[in-house]
Amino acid sequence: MPFDPHFLARLFPALLEGAEVTVELAVLTMAICLVWGLVVALVQATPGPLGWIAGAYIQVVRNTPLLIQLYIVYFGLSMIGMGLSGFASGLLALCIQNGGYVAEIYRGGLQAVSARQYEAGRALGMRRWTLYSVVIMPQVIARIIPPMTNQGISIIKDTSQVAAIAVMEMMKVAQVWVESSANTYDVFLGVAIIYLALTSVANVVGKLAERRLAFVQ
Amino acid sequence: MREFAPLLHGYWYLLRGAEMTLLMAVVAVIPATLLGIAIALLQIFGSRFARAAVVGYLFFIRGIPLLVLLTFTYYLLPLTGIDLPPFWGVVLVLAFYYGAFMSEVFRAGILSLPRAQWDAARSLGMTRRLMLQIVIFPQALRLAAPPFVNLCVNLVKATSLVSIVGLWELTMASREIVERTLAPFQIFLGAAAIYFCICYTLALYGKYLERRVLHGH
Repeated sequence: MPFDPHFLARLFPALLEGAEVTVELAVLTMAICLVWGLVVALVQATPGPLGWIAGAYIQVVRNTPLLIQLYIVYFGLSMIGMGLSGFASGLLALCIQNGGYVAEIYRGGLQAVSARQYEAGRALGMRRWTLYSVVIMPQVIARIIPPMTNQGISIIKDTSQVAAIAVMEMMKVAQVWVESSANTYDVFLGVAIIYLALTSVANVVGKLAERRLAFVQ
Repeated sequence: MREFAPLLHGYWYLLRGAEMTLLMAVVAVIPATLLGIAIALLQIFGSRFARAAVVGYLFFIRGIPLLVLLTFTYYLLPLTGIDLPPFWGVVLVLAFYYGAFMSEVFRAGILSLPRAQWDAARSLGMTRRLMLQIVIFPQALRLAAPPFVNLCVNLVKATSLVSIVGLWELTMASREIVERTLAPFQIFLGAAAIYFCICYTLALYGKYLERRVLHGH
């Protein structure tokens, strides 16, 4: 019987518990990737072997599926005696993959800043740290907010794949409920609504950040 | 090298899985492209009602993980009484999912043409159909080609998710070998290498197209 209110009343608290794990995974991934991606992007811009390695990392993680990376981290590491919990494996794989995408976004932002900005900063006698923190990064951040928002939305959606290694995030909770209740329509409806709500919130946060930080057109 | 013996024994099986992955991606990309073009045209030229429907569709698709759509199609299709083989079921979902993203690419391509192109075509007395056919499409498709190829890379990666709903392709094949050989690290790395070969080739082609767009041809 679809749309049974009694069933929905039991379903939603369970789904929201799963959604909590989903949000934790997504927020942690985004926070780590904002730092990790910047490091990769800055290293990639340097000449020499380190820059080459950072470039190769970006290409490799962007051109292989998250699911395979997840399996390598979860099953592979445990085989060589460095096993991580499901949550930690999921977080690590999400950061490995999305770090590559976030680095590409930073790279685009850094390239969009004209070389004259660097020269002007140096002509004023700025140190490297001051140059980046006062002149370059504010311009980069202003430009990358829209693509970063999209990346955040895609991270939220990516967390569903962690269900494949039995982490009880929302997708896995939904699977368990479908298999135990056979009330497929209701579970789908609930999951869809919560994911849409989460991605909409991410969208709004991105728009607010854009209004606050984007001064460059 | 002895550690990689399971991979050497299993590589033929993996390659057959890769064949299935490619088949699935190619079969899905055709309806996805047609759908993407149709949606883009609806969004630009459609009635207010059609545009609202498209906006709702895009909101729905972009806010819900592909894995959720795949899983619930797998559960719901038998309930609706539609007798569709699983292969065509997932192809349909992939087409609807990526059609939404492709529509954005085509829409951006069409809208980024200078206004003068439309005005010139109209002033020559062209009908809308002719205008699209010989003025707009040839140019818009060239602009849309690089991001289109990037979406194809994502589509190939996304086919790995169908292994979660029980379809046989590269990821499923690698999981089967892992269950027999208990060598997850080697096998999944092997699978990742195959995905990388497919996706990186596509990505390089996308880069080549991008350069051609930027510097004329």
